[in-house]
Amino acid sequence: MSTRLTRRRFIDVHVLQTVPPSNLNRDDAGAPKEASYGGVRRPRASSQAWKRATRIAFSALGISEDQLGTRTKQIADHLASRIAARTSLDDASAARLAAAVIAPLGITASKNKEEESAYLLFYGNKQIEQLVDLVADRAADLAALDDKQLAAEFTSAQARTALMTGHPIDVALFGRMVANVPDIDVNAACQVAHAIATHGAELEFDFYTAVDDRQAADSKGAGMMGRIGFNSATFYRYGAVALHQLEANLTDPAAAVKAASAFVSAFVRSMPTGYGNSFAHRTMPQLVAISVREDQPVNLVTAFEKPITAYGSTGYAAPSAAALAAEQHTIATTWGAPALWTGVTHSFTDTTAKALDEAFGQPLTFPDMLNALTAELTR
Amino acid sequence: MTTTATLLLRLAAPLQSWGDHRAVLDARHTAAQPTKSGVIGLLAAALGRDRDEPLGQLADLTMGVRVDLPGTLLRDYHTVSDHRGVPLLSANLTAKGRQKPTSKPRYIQPTERFYLQDAAFLVGVNGPADFMKDLTAAAKAPACLLSLGRRSCPPTYPFVLSLTDSPLIEALTEQDWLASPHARTVWQRRNHSAAPAAIDVPATIDDPDGDTVLGDQPTSYLLGRNRHTTRRVTHRLITLSTGFTPAPDTPAGEEHDPLALLGW
Repeated sequence: MSTRLTRRRFIDVHVLQTVPPSNLNRDDAGAPKEASYGGVRRPRASSQAWKRATRIAFSALGISEDQLGTRTKQIADHLASRIAARTSLDDASAARLAAAVIAPLGITASKNKEEESAYLLFYGNKQIEQLVDLVADRAADLAALDDKQLAAEFTSAQARTALMTGHPIDVALFGRMVANVPDIDVNAACQVAHAIATHGAELEFDFYTAVDDRQAADSKGAGMMGRIGFNSATFYRYGAVALHQLEANLTDPAAAVKAASAFVSAFVRSMPTGYGNSFAHRTMPQLVAISVREDQPVNLVTAFEKPITAYGSTGYAAPSAAALAAEQHTIATTWGAPALWTGVTHSFTDTTAKALDEAFGQPLTFPDMLNALTAELTR
Repeated sequence: MTTTATLLLRLAAPLQSWGDHRAVLDARHTAAQPTKSGVIGLLAAALGRDRDEPLGQLADLTMGVRVDLPGTLLRDYHTVSDHRGVPLLSANLTAKGRQKPTSKPRYIQPTERFYLQDAAFLVGVNGPADFMKDLTAAAKAPACLLSLGRRSCPPTYPFVLSLTDSPLIEALTEQDWLASPHARTVWQRRNHSAAPAAIDVPATIDDPDGDTVLGDQPTSYLLGRNRHTTRRVTHRLITLSTGFTPAPDTPAGEEHDPLALLGW
């Protein structure tokens, strides 16, 4: 396996982000999710919620469609329409060829155009064109063959190769699992932890009433009323990318560096949208720290096992940043595990800034830090 | 006779989840402690093994788990939907064996995922000394991203504690309690300010003569075809020093007796 041979590099992304009263990711009672860590209950946003926000942020960052994937049950239908577009075949013949190309994979069992695969298949838009390449040049000849001859023209290796090279970046990052065709699985190259608050926080409820504008003058009741659970928190968010796995998935080191940088950018800037219109909670992180390591990824959540307390007017963000810096410093010195490279973007001043300087280096603007990361990864 | 060695791992994080084969469509459970298939899978990932590679020496390792902090169960509500906005599929099949869409249509499938929160485990893995050396190097510099049972549960530092010549049970007994200073404070608060000098923690150890059979010995990690067999284990308690200073014993005859004030 190529990941054993190539040079290993892990990219750790640490984010501190304060959100005002909000309900980013709710449970079945409508309350924001929570978890207990260090013996206190804290706000939590699930990794699934933040990964979806990250995927959606990819297109907002201007990553073109052909670099992204499609998750659909209708691969046969999608392939047939691409074959019809590239050749002069009618729809029925194109559907027949499409079914023949992917039949050896066991994805679809029928030549019927309306049939769907039994599960959502996550593949790249470039990959579908690679499947079209298999038939495009000799489409008319193939369409003239009878079913048996046509089936003999395609092997599972051809379709597999097309689906296993040139992955879109979201498939390469988040992976793909197809239970009954494990040959086309892709090992995910990134990992996102559940975001948890650096401190304990109470779940609160907003009781609201809405007034009926056309209410009769003698009526005193509310038009409607209800409750929304919310809390406010400074979140620690952690994500890691295995650059060597990304290189293996994309079969292109330059594309891997681009994809890693896109992940960092999208992960940092994204935000789950739960109750967005009610709370307008969209904030930007106060701190983004990145480490590149050759040994192993290091999750710094242990900095917050002892919950942060806000004395006087400090708030939670500055003491959280100081605790993060201290944990990075402790791991580098006590365990003899310094990072290969670190970069940081933050908005802190005074002693907090000094501690961050010592742990992660001089702060840069976020675009400059991304450029420096890219330079380090291509070095 | 080849010598053996024991690798000690610390499995601790805000969340971990160890699948216990009760995974059905709408619920993902967790075992109360790391499973052998989970730990062997973690080590295989550290070595960079593919799912289709034979387990080889990994299958023959002996494992012991010490429950330093059992943690608590977290139930996570999770929904699944089809991004195209089409109805989800039902359990009913068509004549061709395909699932029918739900009718009346349902668009969101709620699922439950269970995690252990605030838990810390000591895992000892024993095997031939030279293989254990390679395994330790791989655990310190893994080929793949590691996780504690589920991808969203990355381990915290330090993950590898030591590689020792001690046999498994001795190694599990010699290692200090993994509770951090903060976790010790929380433990004390939860136990009504008790400060015993030592506590007993449960351990589950592979043992061919054990009286309990568990079904988590892995034989294959092929997706959709992962297989397990059984293993025998024994349960025992291991006494650990806590570092607490116990309150001096109350001298005899001076017990708190509120009724004495009333002259009874």
